[in-house]
Amino acid sequence: MAAHFYEFWDSLEAMTSKDLVLENAADRNARFERDAIVFMDQLYAAALRYTRNPEDARDLVQDTYMKAFASFHQFEEGTNLRAWLYRVLTTTFINSYRKKQRQPLIANNEIEDWQVEKAQSHTSDQGKSAEVEALENLPDSDIKNALSELPEEFRMAVYLADVEGFSYKEIAEIVGVPAGTVMSRLHRGRKLLREKLKDYASELGYSTDKGSNSADGTSKEVSE
Amino acid sequence: MTFYGVDEIGCPQVLASLIFIIEDATEEIERQDEIVGHITTCLQCAQELAHERFTQSFLIQSLRRSCQEKAPQGLYESIQNQLLAAFAGSGQSTEVVTTFSMTEISIEIDEFGNVEHHEVQIEQTQIQRIEFTDSSDGGQE
Repeated sequence: MAAHFYEFWDSLEAMTSKDLVLENAADRNARFERDAIVFMDQLYAAALRYTRNPEDARDLVQDTYMKAFASFHQFEEGTNLRAWLYRVLTTTFINSYRKKQRQPLIANNEIEDWQVEKAQSHTSDQGKSAEVEALENLPDSDIKNALSELPEEFRMAVYLADVEGFSYKEIAEIVGVPAGTVMSRLHRGRKLLREKLKDYASELGYSTDKGSNSADGTSKEVSE
Repeated sequence: MTFYGVDEIGCPQVLASLIFIIEDATEEIERQDEIVGHITTCLQCAQELAHERFTQSFLIQSLRRSCQEKAPQGLYESIQNQLLAAFAGSGQSTEVVTTFSMTEISIEIDEFGNVEHHEVQIEQTQIQRIEFTDSSDGGQE
């Protein structure tokens, strides 16, 4: 025996049966009503952003509640119910409504190279103040319209982050994509939204072009 | 025009990382220390970050203000009705959820007295439905 190998093998098997979790269906129904229904207005507003149409939004919320109820036994009490409901809403939308709406997917160009995008140069002070002024003066309807014009993936990410206040990690779970993709969608979605808001503002007569970066990134403002 | 060393962080890289800083996700940035360091010394990048933060919080305010629709009248009632129908279907059964868990612990000691310790946990969940079928219509989904 070249190597003395001594092995001590101890195997302990402990079999425990956790307390029997017994939830009466009636209790669970009551819990669902109590805890989930309060999010109806919020889910409806989100559904409006997703579907862009009150009829579909209404149906989507209704479907979401039925699906959520049917799988409510899988929901772990104590975890984030709101985020879970948004996940049900989003999945339901992606799986059925999107097909119905036959929206082209913008994601074909959704590569991760956004970090090396061109035009990463400093904005001038005039550009900065013009942008803020434009934002300040826009009516709510323009803001909603601009948001609704964003490609779906961007719209969802921006809405979930900026209106609902979910973190990018939560959004990754809700939408079912990697966190890096969420970050990319947020970055590009917000950028596009701001562009659109500037367009709306210039239609209203606010000048936003002076001194801001030109779209092709030719006007570099990095000076010493 | 500033010339950067081969491996030095430049303004474009910093600007591309602003979203991570704004999203409070600096742990996702490569070379985060250098980027944060750059911002403390480059006035233009610092201003850009301040502007992005300001515009972003402004954008959030505007979006929240304009996206506050309430669900239409009647949606609550119709959800309620559908749920009641679903409750009626589910009310006749009781679910028993049993979770078994097993932990296997093994300890290995070699000739040098090194101890290796393994724990394997196996969990199993069983869901059992007990139906009470005393009604005339077998109202199941």
